[in-house]
Amino acid sequence: MTVQPAVVSYQGHYAGSVSRFTAYAIDLVVTTAVFSLALAAISYGVHIVTGHNVSWNRSNIVVAVLFVLWQFVYFGYSWAVSGRTFGMAALGIRVVAVDGSVLEPRRGVVRALVFPLSFLLFGLGFLGILVQREHRALHDLIAGSAVIYAWDARAAHLRFLARQADLVPGARPPAGR
Amino acid sequence: MEAIAQQVTERVVDLLVSALDVNELAARIDLNALIGRVDIDAVLKKVDLNSLIDQVDVNAVLARVDLKPLLDRVDVNDLLSKVDVDALVERTDLGAVIARSSGGMGAEALDAVRSQAVGLDQFVDRWVQRLLRRKDPAPSAPSALLPAQVEP
Repeated sequence: MTVQPAVVSYQGHYAGSVSRFTAYAIDLVVTTAVFSLALAAISYGVHIVTGHNVSWNRSNIVVAVLFVLWQFVYFGYSWAVSGRTFGMAALGIRVVAVDGSVLEPRRGVVRALVFPLSFLLFGLGFLGILVQREHRALHDLIAGSAVIYAWDARAAHLRFLARQADLVPGARPPAGR
Repeated sequence: MEAIAQQVTERVVDLLVSALDVNELAARIDLNALIGRVDIDAVLKKVDLNSLIDQVDVNAVLARVDLKPLLDRVDVNDLLSKVDVDALVERTDLGAVIARSSGGMGAEALDAVRSQAVGLDQFVDRWVQRLLRRKDPAPSAPSALLPAQVEP
């Protein structure tokens, strides 16, 4: 798999829908897994201390509220502190201010607060990622943010070339020349 | 008698030399014609350059060189822009160093996922622009990032 030179030149550009959706899917899996593990740990702790079995029901309103709160903390903290969540870091994208400068923590928190708005009306708020000229969703427009490619594609391209040179015998002249 | 003759000769030579304008004499000599008659290759063949260089204290010569003004005249950015880093990585041990020092399987997988995602982003974006019949290009990056990062 190659890192094309064309891809290298996209660094700093507005990130597109596939990268952003994939990052969100990863975040959703991670947050759900961590939340489930936390609930299991709490159940185990309660069982050890009291001897009672605690079963968490997905339709339980407390569990639902806790999950929403956890999501807000996860996304809000990640965007406020570093401008990227785990999924965004994996995909090499980050949230920045609309002019491209580092996102203020306040805007990161606002973005997390208004993020659910984009889900309203069958996710119409996300349409902006596809059709808006700067690929900004509703929550981006409200929070004054944008998402860009921030991974070091140049380094990735060099790593690719290095691996090729290391794998292909004779690609590199003998030392001493 | 002989001593007198010698004194007379010396005196005559002194008078002759003092009467001569050496500069005018030198001006009349055609040095180019003179040099043209000299076989410089033959002269150089007789010179033992190795022994000549052996006698030169290179360190002392270099110690006299003021490198700073010399380096100030070199446009390092221009020099580096001429370096084909890709070819350098492919053809030298630098590539092996990068390959060993960075990542491994994890980094390779991430690089692949990211570059594929960027490719798909561009594919989707092209189709959306086509469907919306947009002709003027959208801004590619935030204004603060345009000069620093987007230039190829």
